[in-house]
Amino acid sequence: MSAGLTRLWERLPLKKQAAQSSIRVFSNQEQQQQPEVEDDEEFRVLSLRTVKQQFQRRQQVRRDPITPPRTGRMAVDQDWTAVWPGPRSFHPASVPLPLRQGFTERGAAAPSKFANAELMKIPNFLHLTPPAIRQQCEVIKRFCTPWPKGLETEAKWQRHFPVEVTTTDFCHSLPTIRNPEARRVTISLKLSDLKFDSHARDKFLRLVGDRYNKDTDILTFVTDRCPQKKQNYDYALYLLTACYHESFVTEPWEATKSEADMEVYLFERNQSKLSAEGILNWNAKEGAPKVAPSKSYANCVEQLINEGENEYNLGKYKEEVKKMLNIA
Amino acid sequence: MYLSRQWRLLPKAGIARSLSSSGAHYTTAAPAEDSPIEIPNRIERSPTDLLQALAATVGRDHTAPHYKYHDDPFLIPMSNAAKRTYALSKESGRKAAKWIKEEHRELFMHQEAQPAIEKFAPSMVYTEDSQVEESSLRQLIAQGELKDAVLVYNLLEQKGTVISPELKQSLLELVCFHNNQEPLPEEYIEERWFMQNNRRRERSGKTWKDGDLAEKLYSEIEPKTPQSYASLIRGMAKYLQCERAYALLQEAGEKQIQLDTNTFNSIIQIVNFLKDTAEQRWQLCTELLQEMSQQKLRPNLGTLNAVLQCISTFGNFKLARTAALQVLPEFKKLDVSPSLGTYYYLLIIFCRERGPVSHVIVDILNDIAGKEFKVQHPKDTYFFATAMDVCRNHLHDKALAKKVDELLHTGKNYDLIGDSFKESIYYRNYLALLCQTESIDDFMQTYDLLVPNIYIPEPGIMEEILRAIEINGGVEHVPRIWSDMVVFDHTHRESLLLCVLRILVDNKPNPESPAQQQLPEQGAKVALDMYEKVEDSIRRLRKVSFTGQMLGDILTLLVRGGNYEKATEVLSHIDKNQHRIPGTPAESALQEFVEASVQEKSPSQALVALQYAVENNIDSRTLAKRIHEGFTLNEAHLSKLKSLVGESFLDK
Repeated sequence: MSAGLTRLWERLPLKKQAAQSSIRVFSNQEQQQQPEVEDDEEFRVLSLRTVKQQFQRRQQVRRDPITPPRTGRMAVDQDWTAVWPGPRSFHPASVPLPLRQGFTERGAAAPSKFANAELMKIPNFLHLTPPAIRQQCEVIKRFCTPWPKGLETEAKWQRHFPVEVTTTDFCHSLPTIRNPEARRVTISLKLSDLKFDSHARDKFLRLVGDRYNKDTDILTFVTDRCPQKKQNYDYALYLLTACYHESFVTEPWEATKSEADMEVYLFERNQSKLSAEGILNWNAKEGAPKVAPSKSYANCVEQLINEGENEYNLGKYKEEVKKMLNIA
Repeated sequence: MYLSRQWRLLPKAGIARSLSSSGAHYTTAAPAEDSPIEIPNRIERSPTDLLQALAATVGRDHTAPHYKYHDDPFLIPMSNAAKRTYALSKESGRKAAKWIKEEHRELFMHQEAQPAIEKFAPSMVYTEDSQVEESSLRQLIAQGELKDAVLVYNLLEQKGTVISPELKQSLLELVCFHNNQEPLPEEYIEERWFMQNNRRRERSGKTWKDGDLAEKLYSEIEPKTPQSYASLIRGMAKYLQCERAYALLQEAGEKQIQLDTNTFNSIIQIVNFLKDTAEQRWQLCTELLQEMSQQKLRPNLGTLNAVLQCISTFGNFKLARTAALQVLPEFKKLDVSPSLGTYYYLLIIFCRERGPVSHVIVDILNDIAGKEFKVQHPKDTYFFATAMDVCRNHLHDKALAKKVDELLHTGKNYDLIGDSFKESIYYRNYLALLCQTESIDDFMQTYDLLVPNIYIPEPGIMEEILRAIEINGGVEHVPRIWSDMVVFDHTHRESLLLCVLRILVDNKPNPESPAQQQLPEQGAKVALDMYEKVEDSIRRLRKVSFTGQMLGDILTLLVRGGNYEKATEVLSHIDKNQHRIPGTPAESALQEFVEASVQEKSPSQALVALQYAVENNIDSRTLAKRIHEGFTLNEAHLSKLKSLVGESFLDK
C-alpha cells in the first residue's frame, strides 16, 4: 500500500499538476523545474476571494497497527475462568471457539463469529462453565455450616419447624435499593399442628376465614400493612397467636346459638334423635334402661343431611334403618 | 433459621432486571419429643466477604489487557504511550462528566437514589456572600474540602464569629497536611498511577508556604496545645521547611510540651537536611531518640523507617552499616514488626553501587517469603522495584529475582507495586536479568506471559533481548520479536533494525530443523517490512535512513526468502541512491544476489550488481567470474562485462 503511494507521488510531477506545493518530491531537480513549467502553461488568475488551495493533501492519520485477535495467542490449556470471569456479551476476539450463527442463503455456511450481531444478542453462559461453578462453590464452602443433626428427612424438619415464613429480598440495577414488595411476609403452617377442641376449632376457622385452605389443611397469613419487613413479621405472628387464643374463649352470647345458626347438622341436637329414641323405646317399661340409636345410625343421618341425598348415602341410610328396626 | 430454598428470576414489568431470592425461614414451634437436634452456629461474614471469595477465584489472563482497557483488538493499547493515553482519556471523560455536573447543577438537583448518594449531587458552592456557620466549616473539614474550608473560615473571620479552638485545630491539621494546596482528588486513580514520574523533581526542595494560613492559624490558637505544635511541625517537616520545624521542636521541648511519636518521626526523617556529615546526622538522630525515650514515647514503625531513612543518606558506608545493624535488633526488642518500606531502606543501605556486594536480600526474602503485606508506610511501594534492581545490578541472581516475583504475586502484594513508573522499572530489571541468565526458550515463555499486556519493553530492553537471542542462536524467535517491535513502535531505532538484520543474516536457517523451516520466508517478510517502514519513515517526524549495510542485509534476506522481484527493486534503490546512502552493502550480499540472478536467469540484474560493485570499489573479480560462468552471455552483456572489469579478466 505505502509502496504504491510512493510510486504514485513520484509520477505526479511528470503529469504537471498544480498540487506541487504540498507534495514532497524525492529529487531536488524536479522541484526546481516545476515552477517554470507551470508558468508556461497557465495564465495567472486574479483571485478576488482567497480560495483555499484545492489540492491540499489530506493529513494522513497515523494509526497504531491493529493486533490480531488474542484468541490466537491463547494456550490450549489456559484457565478459561480467568479469561471470561463474569457475564459479558460475546466478543469474537476473546472467545477461541469457531462459532457460527445466523441465517444465510440455502446451502451457504452460517456467518462466522466476527461482526456477528446474532451472537452478541443472545445471552451467553461462558462465565458459568462447570469448572467455574466448581471453583466458586469451593471458595463459598467455608461460609457454609453442616446440615443440622437430627433433621435428615423432610418429615423430621417439618415436625421441628412447623411454621414457614417466606420473605423476599430484591436486588436490581436501579438507583434505589428499596422495593415495596420486600416488606411482605407470608407465614404458613398446617392446622393439624395446632391443638383445638371442637368449639375452638370451629371458632378459629370462622376467625381466619379464607386464610385456611381446607384441601391442603394449610393456614396462611400474608401481612403487608406495615412499612417494614420486621414489623410485618411481628404482626403476622401476633395475628396467629391472637386468633388461636381467642378461639378458646367462649363468650356468653355463644350459648344462645339456635338450631338456625348451626352450620352443620348434628344428630345429637336434632329431632331425628328424639324420633329414633321414641321408636326404639316404644312401649318400654318405666325404669327400664333407655335404648339409644347406634353410633353408625347417627353418623349415617348426619352424612345424609350434611352431604345431601345421593345413592350411596340413601343406601347406607336404608341399611342402618333396617339394622336399627331389626327388619331382616 | 435460614434455609435457602430456591432462586428464581422475577420479570419486573420490564423496568429493571430484578433478582429475587425467596428465602424460607422456619421458627421453632414445638420442641421435638424424640431426637434432639443440633444446629451449628452461623459463620460470621461481612457484607463483602462472599464477593471477595468469588473474586479470589479469578486469575490473571495474560492474553488480555488490564481490565481498565476495553477488551477489543482495536482498543487494546499496544505501546506505553497508548496505555497512558487510553487510561487517561477514560479518566478525562469522568472529569468531563463531573465538570458538567457542576456546571449545570440545576439539572442534577433531583435525588432518585435511596439512600441518597452524595457524590451524585452537585457540591455546595461557597462564595463571598454565602451565609455560613461553624457547622458548615466542621462538615467541610470532615469531607476534606480544603479550598472551601479555607474560604468558609475566612468568611467566618470577617463576620467575627467565634470559632472553637478544636475546630481551629482540625482546620490547622487539614491545612498543614496539604500545605494549603488543593490535593488531587482521590477518585482519579489513573492520574495518580501515571503521574509519579514528573513529580520526582520537585521533591527535594522546600515547598512549605511560609507565613501562610497554617502559621496564622497556629498563632491564633492560644494557649498552644501539643496538638497544634505537632501539626505545624509535621506540616513543616513534610514540606521540607526543616530548620523551622526543628526549631519548633526545640521550642516545644523547652516549654515542656509533650509531643507524640509521629512528630518525632517527621523530624527524624529530615535529619539529613539539618546536618551535613554522617556523624552529625547520626548524633542528632540518637539525640532525638533519647529525647523520645525521656518523654516515655513508644517508637513505632514510622520511627524505625525514619531512622533507617536517615541512615540511608549516610555517605559513609561503614557507619551506615553498623548503625543499621544496631537499630534493627533494638526495634525488634520493642516489638515493632518491619514493613516492606523497612526492607527497602535496608536494601538501599546495604546494596550500594560502589560498596561491597551484600547478600542482605537473601535473608530478607527468607524472612518474608509467602507473607502477605498491607501498605503501612509511604515507602512500602518502593520495595519491589528496588529489590529487582538489586537482583539484577547488584547480585545478578536469577533465582532471587524469581523469589521476588513470587513474593509480588502472593496474595494482594501486587497492590504494593506502586505506580506505572515503578512497575515498569520492576519488569525492566526482571526481563533484562532473565534474558541474560536464562536459556532463550525459557526466557521466551516469560516474555510471552508479560509482553505486551503487563509490560512493554523499552528499546533498550529490546536490544538486550535481541542480543540474548543472538548469543543463544534463537533466530526462530526473531520474526515474533520483529512483529512486537512494529507494534511497540521501535522501528525508528537504527541500532535495533541493524541488530535484527544481523541476527537474521548471520544465522543462516537450517532447513532440517522443523522450527526453522519457515524462517527464510519469514526473514524475507521481515526484511521487506523493514524496507517499507524505513522508506515510509522519510515522511515521518522520526526519520531513519538507510545505510549500505542495512540494505545489503535486506537484499540478502530477500534473496534467501526467494523474493527475487523485490530484491531487484532494493538493488535498484541502492544503485540509484548511491550518493545518499552511507556505506556499501557487504560483498557477500552482492554475491548471493548474483547467485540468485543465475538461478533466475536474468543476466542484466547481475550486471547491475556488478556495475555497482565496480563503481563502489568492492572486489568485483569473484562476481564477474560467477557471472561469466553462470550465464551464456550475449554480445551486449559481454561487452558490458568487459567494459566493467576489463578485457584482461576474460583471458585468465
